[in-house]
Amino acid sequence: MDDSNREIGNKVNLREIYRYLGYGARIPDDSIQNLIIEVLDALLCVIKPRNIYKVFHSSISESQVVLEKSGRILVFESKNLADNLAQCNTVVLLAATLGIEADKLLQRYEILHMTKAAIVQACGAACIEAYCNILQEQILDELSKKGTKLFLRPRFSPGYGDLPLQYQRMIFQELECTKRIGITLTDSLLMYPTKSVSALIGLTANPQSCHIDKCSQCDNITCAFRSGTVEK
Amino acid sequence: MNFREQLGRQILFFDGGMGTLLQERGLLAGEVPETWNILHPEIIRQIHKEYLLAGSNIISANTFGVNAFKCKNLEYTVNELVTAGVRLVREAMGEVHSSQPMYAALDIGSIGKLLKPLGEVSFDEAYKVFQEIVIAGNQAEADLILIETVSDSYEIKAAVLAAKENSNLPVVVTMIFDENGKLLTGGDVASVTAMLEGLGVDAIGFNCGLGPEQMKKLLPQLTACCSLPIVMNPNAGLPVVVNGQTTFEVEPEEFAQSMRTLVEMGASVVGGCCGTTPAHIKRVVELCKNIEIAPVTDKKLTVVSSYNHAVYFTKKPLIIGERINPTGKSKFKQALRDHDMEYLYKEGLVQEEKGAHILDVNVGLPEIDEPQLMEETVTGIQAIIDLPLQIDTSNTEAMERGLRYYNGKPMLNSVNGKKESMESVFPIAKKYGAVLVCLCLDEGGIPETVEGRLQVAEKIVKTAAQYGIPKKNLVMDALVLTISTGKDNANITLEALRRIRYEMGLHTVLGVSNISFGLPERSRINTAFFTMAMNNGLSAGIVNPSSEPMMSAYYSFNALIGEDNQCSAYIANASQTIDKPSVSSTKSSVYTLDEAIIKGLAESASEETIKLLEQNMDALSIINEKLIPALDVVGKGFEEKKMFLPQLLMSAEAAKASFEAIKATLSKQGKDSESKGKIVIATVKGDIHDIGKNIVKTLLENYGFEMIDLGKDVDPEQILKTVQEQQVKLVGLSALMTTTVVNMEATIKLLREHDVNCKVMVGGAVLTQEYADMIGADFYSKDAMGSVRYANALYERGEL
Repeated sequence: MDDSNREIGNKVNLREIYRYLGYGARIPDDSIQNLIIEVLDALLCVIKPRNIYKVFHSSISESQVVLEKSGRILVFESKNLADNLAQCNTVVLLAATLGIEADKLLQRYEILHMTKAAIVQACGAACIEAYCNILQEQILDELSKKGTKLFLRPRFSPGYGDLPLQYQRMIFQELECTKRIGITLTDSLLMYPTKSVSALIGLTANPQSCHIDKCSQCDNITCAFRSGTVEK
Repeated sequence: MNFREQLGRQILFFDGGMGTLLQERGLLAGEVPETWNILHPEIIRQIHKEYLLAGSNIISANTFGVNAFKCKNLEYTVNELVTAGVRLVREAMGEVHSSQPMYAALDIGSIGKLLKPLGEVSFDEAYKVFQEIVIAGNQAEADLILIETVSDSYEIKAAVLAAKENSNLPVVVTMIFDENGKLLTGGDVASVTAMLEGLGVDAIGFNCGLGPEQMKKLLPQLTACCSLPIVMNPNAGLPVVVNGQTTFEVEPEEFAQSMRTLVEMGASVVGGCCGTTPAHIKRVVELCKNIEIAPVTDKKLTVVSSYNHAVYFTKKPLIIGERINPTGKSKFKQALRDHDMEYLYKEGLVQEEKGAHILDVNVGLPEIDEPQLMEETVTGIQAIIDLPLQIDTSNTEAMERGLRYYNGKPMLNSVNGKKESMESVFPIAKKYGAVLVCLCLDEGGIPETVEGRLQVAEKIVKTAAQYGIPKKNLVMDALVLTISTGKDNANITLEALRRIRYEMGLHTVLGVSNISFGLPERSRINTAFFTMAMNNGLSAGIVNPSSEPMMSAYYSFNALIGEDNQCSAYIANASQTIDKPSVSSTKSSVYTLDEAIIKGLAESASEETIKLLEQNMDALSIINEKLIPALDVVGKGFEEKKMFLPQLLMSAEAAKASFEAIKATLSKQGKDSESKGKIVIATVKGDIHDIGKNIVKTLLENYGFEMIDLGKDVDPEQILKTVQEQQVKLVGLSALMTTTVVNMEATIKLLREHDVNCKVMVGGAVLTQEYADMIGADFYSKDAMGSVRYANALYERGEL
């Protein structure tokens, strides 16, 4: 396992993995916990995480977000996104993936060991989140070097709230996701490798606005995987 | 001299970047650069001219991004954009008066979609997209085809086949590697080089992704294995993000200095990619034009490759796993008849785990469509297993299908010295660059003498050469006959083997276990013979990697001949074998069958089932009184949130092991296990996430339902057809995204329109009861157990 994957392993939130496996806020028994550690380790040994991002100046109005960088302009029509990015002058467009290796491992487990397949699915989801968390901290450090202390807003992706998935096409074109980091977009706007994320991240000098749990913002309040869900 | 004649004999220069130059001249964000071939031809022509004046010999037409997928949203056709693009290069060449050689390259980039079975575009669809471009470029009189900035070996193979089957133009392939020498889809330099040389391209190299300094580090990997002229088209350094803006900062002088080193290291065609300009190329030409390039040499490597790595035939023998083969295996034959692909994949995965280097794939049975099954097996296995494959068939159509859809440089088993065999197999092996297993037999049968076998070997080598197949792509099988029918059979084989390997200089292969047919305790003879064969020059043994004695012999041999540094592989293998608890100690399980299932212990479940069967408990009672009640306990625990998905699945796997034990007993008694009814299950069109569907399938199987799994990204028509043909009464559909739920709705609509008498249950992350009602589903399953409850209810009402 190389160092950067180990770092992802260190940052992975095991509770997220439990939650993705349907445990809500509970803790699995020891044998399942051991199995999770084993599968997570196998996953971290094969993945090849990659990322690409660009930094834009942003102007936010009530239901529109305009990103601008040296003459290139991207417009997003979405009230939820505008709310999320309120007071942000800088927005990072980020795409990241664990690579095709995660999907290959999932497929192998689906044939050999269905339990591990379900677990690797959950571990993959937690790893790509951990990877994005690491990346955004790095980006924040780099951008904060210029003087003003900046704070991160929660990542916001197409498909959240009223931001249509169709914006994936624009993001993919802008970041050249396919060529640069190997994420492809299907006609139905799904990303492949499946353990991939594309997102807008707002940066603001306003400290009180940061870090809202993005899961709890979602409208699907009956979702079985909602964070904090224990049982009905 | 034409392009092919100059290639590798004198240095040639490519042009540099196009995108940045177009942006400087007003190309807007989101605008498709290739449309400028028609909208602003003068600008494109001017850029080409600048590169020609800088000294470029090869100008890439502005056709990189043209393909049927991208043209869908444009008002121009592929043909129009390609034709205009190539014409602009020709016009620029006409306007530059120079004595330098000048060539117009049809520039083909990636289609930007991942290929099946991982992605959504089939190999044949990708081929057609490339074919359209090639035909247009060929008609527009391109001098060569440049396939560039590609990063998926399977897509590259489709593009190369399209280029070679639809034109006679030279083909140059440059790929985008990362700093570790990997393609985005996992391939490495050696694996794609093996594949491309096999396919007969004219030059291979790197472009984009890296700057010249990083390419310097990777180039030795290429020169070590490549027997073709080498192309280097780097970016002007690694992209540097300044104020969030991506730029390339290496200036012409520094760039050219690095390029000179690349030429000295072995590149003979050089140019630039992103960030490079006519100024960069001009300086490269000045610095490099007088370098005398090293002649291209044949590395004489015998190599096969999978999508992600190459396997070389060397002094150290290889293990070719023999288990994917129905010969003498009734269970395997049944799996083929039942189209039980999972069974095949498992055989492959186990062999990979046990240390095989190559997998033999034989799916021949008289009553099945072998070409179709070969294609399916090869594409299925290569999606999950990393090993190179040996396509094993005597059916030439199955050979062609297997080789065509193979992602890498394959091995092919086999040709023999018969005229008919050589005439039919050599052209196919040549076309796909297969390493060919050659059997030392001909019209006269298997020669009884060493001399006789060598004569056949020589005939095969000579005839292969006439088809353009070099010795390095032939691996000779001296043939093994059992010693139970002739006392000298081993001696003859070993001596023929030795002379083929050391006198003729060919690599060798043997089906080792044939030596002991008709004898008791075969593994004793096999193991001894395997060691003797390796010592006489066996390059690869076709053996069962799960056989401990054989693998012990293998690891011992390598340690003994000094091919196992610090005996580490030997030690690893030995400790594995020793650590394993002996089979007898696990026999006495402490759990009853229902406990084993509830705890999710597959081995115990299987053992306890066998015990019960031995105690004459009948199969149906075991299922109804032990298995199902145990599964119900877990199912109920799951519904009450006292047990969770991993436990549910572990129990399901334990139950599966128990079922398999029951099935094995039933089939010995000539009986079939009963099914509670057929259920079709599929992830809908457009959706590629199928873990949810697979979980549901696993559970339903355990409750005795016969599952017809249509996979992911399934057309509504296919679902309808299966339901009608097999008279299925229940369909399970899964969809993950709002964008694919529409296809769920379309599928239900299609089923209803055709008045099919079947129920539809649906599930997936974004679904809700309301949504399920809206799209006309009969049942919304909020979790995996929901589908079991529903199917059981239908069964009890007699509706399945």
